[in-house]
Amino acid sequence: MVIGIDLGTTNSALAFGEDEAVQAFAVEQVVQPGEVRAESLLPSFVYLPGPKDFAEGATALPWDEQPKYVVGTLARRRGAESMGRLVASAKSWLSYAGVDRNEAILPVHAPDGVAKISPVEASRAYLEHLNEAWQHAGHPALGEHEVVLTVPASFDAVARQLTEKAAREAGITKLVLLEEPQAAFYAWIGKHADWREKVGPGDRVLIIDIGGGTTDFTLIDVKDQGGELTLERVAVGDHILLGGDNMDLALARHLETKMPKLDAQQLQALWQQCRAAKEVLLDPESTVTAQPVTILGRGSSLIGGTIKSKLTRAEVEQILVEGFFPHVAPDEELAKTRRSALTEIALPYASDARITAHLAHFVKQCGAAPTHVLFNGGVLRAGLVRDRILSSLNLWLPKPVKVLDGEDLMLAVARGAAYYGLARQGKGIRIRGGVPRTYYVGIEDAMPAVPGMAAPMKAFTVVPFGMEEGTAHQYPGRKFGLYVGEPVEFRIFSSTERRGDEAGALLEPMPKDLKELPAMEITLAPTAKTPVGLVAVTLESHVTATGVLELFCVAASGDRWKLEFSVRERKA
Amino acid sequence: MSRISLAFSSFFGLLFGGQLPDSVILALGLSKRSAKTSAAAAPAPKVDVSDGALQLLALLQRDARLLDFLMEDVSPYSDEQVGAAVRNIHESSRATLQRYLSLQPVIDGVEGAVTQLSAAGSLKNDPGAIKLLGNVPADGNVKAGTLRHKGWKVEKIELPALQVKTNLKILAPAEIEVE
Repeated sequence: MVIGIDLGTTNSALAFGEDEAVQAFAVEQVVQPGEVRAESLLPSFVYLPGPKDFAEGATALPWDEQPKYVVGTLARRRGAESMGRLVASAKSWLSYAGVDRNEAILPVHAPDGVAKISPVEASRAYLEHLNEAWQHAGHPALGEHEVVLTVPASFDAVARQLTEKAAREAGITKLVLLEEPQAAFYAWIGKHADWREKVGPGDRVLIIDIGGGTTDFTLIDVKDQGGELTLERVAVGDHILLGGDNMDLALARHLETKMPKLDAQQLQALWQQCRAAKEVLLDPESTVTAQPVTILGRGSSLIGGTIKSKLTRAEVEQILVEGFFPHVAPDEELAKTRRSALTEIALPYASDARITAHLAHFVKQCGAAPTHVLFNGGVLRAGLVRDRILSSLNLWLPKPVKVLDGEDLMLAVARGAAYYGLARQGKGIRIRGGVPRTYYVGIEDAMPAVPGMAAPMKAFTVVPFGMEEGTAHQYPGRKFGLYVGEPVEFRIFSSTERRGDEAGALLEPMPKDLKELPAMEITLAPTAKTPVGLVAVTLESHVTATGVLELFCVAASGDRWKLEFSVRERKA
Repeated sequence: MSRISLAFSSFFGLLFGGQLPDSVILALGLSKRSAKTSAAAAPAPKVDVSDGALQLLALLQRDARLLDFLMEDVSPYSDEQVGAAVRNIHESSRATLQRYLSLQPVIDGVEGAVTQLSAAGSLKNDPGAIKLLGNVPADGNVKAGTLRHKGWKVEKIELPALQVKTNLKILAPAEIEVE
């Protein structure tokens, strides 16, 4: 048996595959105080309960009478009433280099005295819950199975490493990481036995994944190799913190201006009603042109305090189309707002809300034009949104794209992950792709020091774009002198856009568009063959079979030291 | 017996004797049922008949605010104002009922059509399940008639398990927001 887990920003799901059949698993969770139910999704929320939050035993799970945290539906529900104790969007924090992701920082606005948790700990809590629920349903622990865990394609090496850490701490040992858009594509393949008739050699499939909080793009090439179709992931986009929640919030803000002042809970209700109204209005089958939005009065005066409004299809279309999906030129630049030097710790939300502009940027950066589109994510259930994206693409591209459809947009990722697990066991096709970025080590120019001037940097390519799982690169030609016994720091850079830099290429000067990751720190421990002192080492890069990037320093004597990302806050 | 003395004898009788004094039973016209008490059986957790009712009320209030609605004086409000709220309450109440109860018609037929009583299956002879209207023959033996109302029955009831400490008399907590 193979397990697929979609560890989502707002919802998580688990699917399992056996003999080529993939099934979704309903996750038992506390949905209301004292009430446990199995639901198809586990909302990715942790609530840190205070002494007066719940009656004794109200958060008990069948496998744990007194859980430390509340996870899932009840956490989301109670958190809406008491935001200060709610941990949300842990996954976005996991990919944010601006904070120490192992440090207990969540919830950011918790009242003093609340024991916060780290983004890694929150991710662990979701996985642990899934593990317990899975066992309670009568299965062996997740550690006994091969588990395919999905991550956004845009997760960098550090975010992947932290996800892996959270999974191991949750008891998942046989772990494989898979990119979410690829999982969605596997789900599509799994559902269409005749997929080879729908795509052929030379086709390029653009996967557009718009979730609750994030948007992700991926491009997969279909190729012919000795008469067999092969799939290769050739590009992934940047991590964009922008999704369906932003759209619902925009609708709610629009209606809020027409209403008397609402309190926090009524705003929450308004947000949910706008989401529901949007889904009804944008349903391709629906003929209604307006949907009532009613906020019931607070307190026991329900009718008297009821606030009535409505959302029309025209309003929804206008707000979504103008705000999120305007037609843009194919070479549209993304708007960048200047951020003030002093910002509160917060997620780096996209400053440009135009998803079409982000898409234009991605398509331009890909070079060749996509021929097919596969949609994933709840937002794309709306016909209007799909149509807008298609009409935008068709404005830019020489030939109209075809849509690959027919998957469940909410559960596709977990199902696809399980399908991929089966594929790894030789029961289906695999997408080749390797590492979706190029990684560089920064090297300082050796030159006489000039006060007030940083030494110019060069970038040495250690992991070329698309380096495959289970391969390694060695660079014997470039030696570094390191002091054994003293801490040294490697500056690591990456790019999703530079795909032509070959292994070992030295970029001089360093291009400006590289992104810096947390540094890799190492103190070479002396060994029998390498005493304390200066030693010449070369670098070696590995991509493990599970998709994790590793760097080693290798001495001529054969001694090896593994470099680790130090996931501390990067000083600006 | 006067009301006061009835109340006191009932109170103390129950408090110290665990049962109503015979004098009270007589005065109220009650009859004493001999509950079969098997001393050997372990005492089962005490479940009152009203527990389920209170729990269902609390659920309908929690999910649909049904109590707030029923207990509010709606006379000052326009039909439109009431209607706006009702859509909301109706939708959530229905969802709650369907989640915890499985409701079925007693006779799954077409109202207004001639229907056999046997359509009610095993309930066909149960006067609680089929109410005969109109010209019912003296012996009450009826095979068919016009279906006026399909009736409702509960096939399954699945209320959440109660915690020992739940005070069922609290149907909705008071809410206090800390600024």
